[in-house]
Amino acid sequence: MANKSEIIVSEDEVTEIGLIKRVHQSLIDFKNADHSGRVDKLGKVGLFIPAVASTLIIILILAFLWIESATIFGDPRGGIGIIISPTWDPNRDLFGIAIFIVGSLMCTGIAIGIALPLGIGGAIFLSEFCPMRLRQPLKMIIEMMAAIPSIVYGLWAYLVLVPVIKNNIAPAVGSDSNGLSLLAGGSILAIMLLPTIVTISNDALQTVPRSLREASLALGATQSETSRKIVLSAALPGVGAAVVLSLGRAVGETMAVLMVTGNSLQIPYSLFDPTYVMTSIITNQLGYAFVFPLWRSALFAVGLILLIMSICFTITAKLFIRWGMKTRGYL
Amino acid sequence: MIELETPIQRFIARIGLHEAMKSRRQFTDYLFKILLGVVMIIIVSPFFLVLFQVAGVGFWQVFGTGPGQGLEFFTTFPGSGLQGGIRNAFVGTVELITIASVVGIPLSVLGAVYISEYTRPGIGREVIEFTSDVLAGIPSIVFGAFGFAFLVDFLHFGMGLLAGSLTLAFMMIPTIMRTTQEALRQVPMSLREASLALGATKWSTTWSVTLRAAFPGVITGVLLAVGRVMGETAPLIFTAGNSLSVPVELTGSGSWVASMPYTIWAYVSDPSAILQDKAQGTALALMMMVLAIDLIANIISRKVTRRLV
Repeated sequence: MANKSEIIVSEDEVTEIGLIKRVHQSLIDFKNADHSGRVDKLGKVGLFIPAVASTLIIILILAFLWIESATIFGDPRGGIGIIISPTWDPNRDLFGIAIFIVGSLMCTGIAIGIALPLGIGGAIFLSEFCPMRLRQPLKMIIEMMAAIPSIVYGLWAYLVLVPVIKNNIAPAVGSDSNGLSLLAGGSILAIMLLPTIVTISNDALQTVPRSLREASLALGATQSETSRKIVLSAALPGVGAAVVLSLGRAVGETMAVLMVTGNSLQIPYSLFDPTYVMTSIITNQLGYAFVFPLWRSALFAVGLILLIMSICFTITAKLFIRWGMKTRGYL
Repeated sequence: MIELETPIQRFIARIGLHEAMKSRRQFTDYLFKILLGVVMIIIVSPFFLVLFQVAGVGFWQVFGTGPGQGLEFFTTFPGSGLQGGIRNAFVGTVELITIASVVGIPLSVLGAVYISEYTRPGIGREVIEFTSDVLAGIPSIVFGAFGFAFLVDFLHFGMGLLAGSLTLAFMMIPTIMRTTQEALRQVPMSLREASLALGATKWSTTWSVTLRAAFPGVITGVLLAVGRVMGETAPLIFTAGNSLSVPVELTGSGSWVASMPYTIWAYVSDPSAILQDKAQGTALALMMMVLAIDLIANIISRKVTRRLV
């Protein structure tokens, strides 16, 4: 494949003769070309401009995040230590963002703890045991769940889930929580992650060759043993990629989590304690912080950490896929 | 694996309990299947819970006949005490999405075509693909912060229609670029070679052969990105502002614009019961718009798979 595309591209190949000469040469070419040749050349330029523009925008976003957050990392009152410092008090120039990182990780941990077993179970059901007639409607519902805006999930969690936790669950375990808690944030996140995990894992399970299942069944294994020990382990890289991608989504979720976690500056010690996540602090304080360079820069540093997390998740997902290609040869 | 094409009843009868009682392994098998069925019910139940909650209250806002309900919900401004409809938010969302699409879709689709068709595979292309993957995964609030720092502050656009819609356009770019590249990759190389061998230029090959073959995939990706961006609140908080009427200019103080997601957030944070009902009505309307777009994308992509198979 790669070879073929190179052959096609190679007609555009220009020997290294300096930029000005190249532009001049292509202008002469343009003058000499017939109508379709001119359209061809104009079309190439017409595509080149959007390509450069969109690439520039991507680079611009990365550069801006870096430049904006460089202030706090270079300042003696900030420095790289803010990542492990737990005190956030902009009035006293204390910009420790550890609480937010811990809050985000705990929220994500709870969400993934709920969503992972359910999601993989659902994917196995959908791909192995689901009656044909139910499969299409179920898939459609799950795709629709993925499309529902996060603010709508947030609205539902705020109006339904939080009161349920306040009135039913918290008293049952002897807590006087007001419902805005780590548990509420984790559960709504889990609900939002489920479609991602189910869809991608289901795709991975579907690519496992039929012959593997048939061989296992022929050896006398039951259907559940086949699905658990053969199909799931054959599709493990794809399932892993699904989980990592959904992790990335969980850490970056903004509105739903903001509305139900209570946003209090403390590290939560129980499921019913309120917490503060990274995306929430940016949403809540960027408006006020904008005229204070250090405060604003600290918030952009939180954004930079979110970006670094996203890079890690993307790399891990790619590694999972490469692992699958290497050991399974299909994915 | 046995083909499970029978209806549920026959399916249950076939793996009925008498079969499962034969041995311990059979019984575990039976339990496992029931467990997975229950898990599936748990997974899809939030969809119906959310739908019933939002529709139960919102239905009368969107389809009722009282003041500020039904069609009036979309055609009247909130007015004093926010008793009226959500015309400001509805019009705002439509305008934001329109401008964002006009800017974002051509940039990302054409850019992706250039990167996939005109550049050689290599480090440069992989770096671009990797960064757009990363950007597609970063939180929407980071785009909002970027829009605030770059468009509102650095370029002095000020909050408003232009800053808000450009931020949304920036959010679309990585997603659409990736889906377009994926769709172009699905087009067999033989199609391009056949066209080139017939003497077509690179441009007419790309435009009328490659892009046409990849078009359904491209359109699906575009629609999904538009649907996703339509429901975003976080990027708009700092870039679009809020307003009780429709914007009259692109930048400056008259350009502040409300959007449906932002309105939901603002109304639901308010303890007044009427506003919470209106928030749910807005949520229902937004959900219907997003799901309609999603459904269209779904139908298009299904048509493609059918044609390819």
